[in-house]
Amino acid sequence: MSVLRVGIVGCGKIADGHAEVLQFLDGAELVAVCDREPILAEQLAVRFRVPKWYASLEQMLAEERLDVVHITTPPAVHLFLTRQCVAAGAHVFLEKPLALRAADCRELINVVTAAGRKMSINYWPNFDPPAMELKKLLADNVVGDPVHVEAFIGYDLSGTYGQALMSDPGHWVHALPGKLFQNMMDHIVNRIVPLLPPGEPEVNAFAYKRREAVRGDATDLLLDELRIVLRCGGVSAYGSLCSHARPVANTLKIYGTKNTTELDYANRTVITMASQRFPSAIGRLLPSFQMAARYFKQGRNNHRAFHRHQFQYFAGMTTLLKKFYDSIRNGTELPISYPEILRTVDIMDRVIEQVYPLSREAAR
Amino acid sequence: MKILITGSGGFLGKRLVERLLAHGLTDLRCMLRDTSKGAALAQIASAYPDAKVELFAANLKNQPELAAALAGVSIVIHAAAALKGSPAEMFLDSVVASRNLLDAIVALPEPQRPRVVLISSFGAMGVPSLARGAMVDETVPMETRPADRDLYSYTKLRQEQMFWEYRERFGIELVVLRPGVIYGPGGGRFSTRVGLSMFGQFLHLGGSNLLPLTYVDNCAEAIVVAALTPAAAGQVYNVVDDDLLTSRQYLALYTKQVKPTRSIPVPYPVLLWGSGLVERYSIRSKGQLPAIFTPYKTKAMWGGNRFSNVKLKALGWKPIVSTSDGLERTFAAFRAEPTAK
Repeated sequence: MSVLRVGIVGCGKIADGHAEVLQFLDGAELVAVCDREPILAEQLAVRFRVPKWYASLEQMLAEERLDVVHITTPPAVHLFLTRQCVAAGAHVFLEKPLALRAADCRELINVVTAAGRKMSINYWPNFDPPAMELKKLLADNVVGDPVHVEAFIGYDLSGTYGQALMSDPGHWVHALPGKLFQNMMDHIVNRIVPLLPPGEPEVNAFAYKRREAVRGDATDLLLDELRIVLRCGGVSAYGSLCSHARPVANTLKIYGTKNTTELDYANRTVITMASQRFPSAIGRLLPSFQMAARYFKQGRNNHRAFHRHQFQYFAGMTTLLKKFYDSIRNGTELPISYPEILRTVDIMDRVIEQVYPLSREAAR
Repeated sequence: MKILITGSGGFLGKRLVERLLAHGLTDLRCMLRDTSKGAALAQIASAYPDAKVELFAANLKNQPELAAALAGVSIVIHAAAALKGSPAEMFLDSVVASRNLLDAIVALPEPQRPRVVLISSFGAMGVPSLARGAMVDETVPMETRPADRDLYSYTKLRQEQMFWEYRERFGIELVVLRPGVIYGPGGGRFSTRVGLSMFGQFLHLGGSNLLPLTYVDNCAEAIVVAALTPAAAGQVYNVVDDDLLTSRQYLALYTKQVKPTRSIPVPYPVLLWGSGLVERYSIRSKGQLPAIFTPYKTKAMWGGNRFSNVKLKALGWKPIVSTSDGLERTFAAFRAEPTAK
């Protein structure tokens, strides 16, 4: 297997996750990192023992002959940086959100394909072990055809990421047309999209601010509760981003024609709901034991994964990158198709239009 | 003489302002990111009606704001630093912020450049290379393996290195102080040097090691003395008090005077051995569990040293609060806030 030379541009918080995964990934070597703030590039390189760091992407591309660049900057510059990378012959792996608007996302993919390169986006939770297991249940027709889907993501405004956002009115997330929702919504919509039949979905969304605190700055404009309702053909879906419910949950529930299955990303479980197979009180008595047995089995499987060292926080990113890099090496299928990405960002655009109409208008 | 204090709203910063006023300085500019949080400073200033204490809103991450903050300033005391956050945030808040401040200083015409006093940290020193029980003083070289230390130590090391680099390049007048563990009312209860809470248990890791304690007022006093003494230029001073306690003594006193605290003592050889296991497992499992303990980190934090304040005393500093009084005041404050951590 040829070893791909990988670089990272954008050495903020999420770049740590990429560097963590890359340091243990066979077939790839993180050879350089770059940030226009050289101190950020330096600290990432030093902590992960990356040989070179740069303050100029142009220079890194010229000197390092990179096969792949991970673009982990804020989304406003993704398109601009992608042009530079593919012009230098590199494939690109981008953090979400892909760009500020769906039109820019479309252009970004066009730029990549026109240059004969490949791109993918870091939808890593969809490649976590339980998410892969759910895909198998769907492929094996255990769930049947999806009828309704519920995707729920909790967000802790007082957590590490939330605090960084709420304590800094200049944080780039406040400048996104869809603010916090735009930064998180990929992970809601991208888990629903593969379950929708072809066609143009109906999209209805509303959002509100539940917190009461007023800081007198840009952070006050940030809404913190989002609800999305989608319907496409015979499938409906709810999507929620919820900043106040506890525990901070991260789930996907698929109500299928054969079974209902719930994937819990945070707790690493994928459980098919038990149903009453027997009449009367016996029928009501057994399902809880069935559910307990299924959770026990999941716990045992998780323990095996832990024992085999497959239980990292970013295990999904490892799987996604392996598939993307294989696609680059061998010309195989991409792990996430471009139409799937574009369908996701189109829905996001329509949600943002509804919940931040003025902000969207200003961005145009 | 106008003095600019960054990080003036912090645990140390507030006491620093008080000590400057107590020394008769009457023109202070207290930099805060958000001046609405300056109530405590205003209260301190109210005891010195003849002094001018200006609350100045500026963010060190925004360099254009800093020229105005430096206008007319003779001394800058840089006490702002990040204590927590992601690595990128900590580097932005401590190191990039410092670089912005230094750039703003060197942009001034040379005669207008203020004296710079940096509040660094014990973390900047390369103590893991020392033998157990070795004396830690200002001759200990700076850390050479920053990536192997905790993040806070790395940010403080990089910050201090940068100040020395600017001194070399631009000839700024620099004084560096490296406090040990700053304690006092409003501060933390247990330094990591004492131990860590893990899985609902408090692991006592410090054993019979001396704690490099400095009561917050003593530390502030040291900073003021160093800031005002011309002979301190170009020097570094470690800041620790007299009559230091061992970790075990601190824990026993805390248990007696504040709250019964059950702890599991971990002897140093066991800790060192366990740290090696954790580090090896972290690598073998491809980061499945983080290497929060490594032999290098363990040597740095719990290796056990002695600490000297001889150089600082030679400058004219002496503790204004004894360790026993400092602990009494601190524990009284802890008792008054039983739910605080």
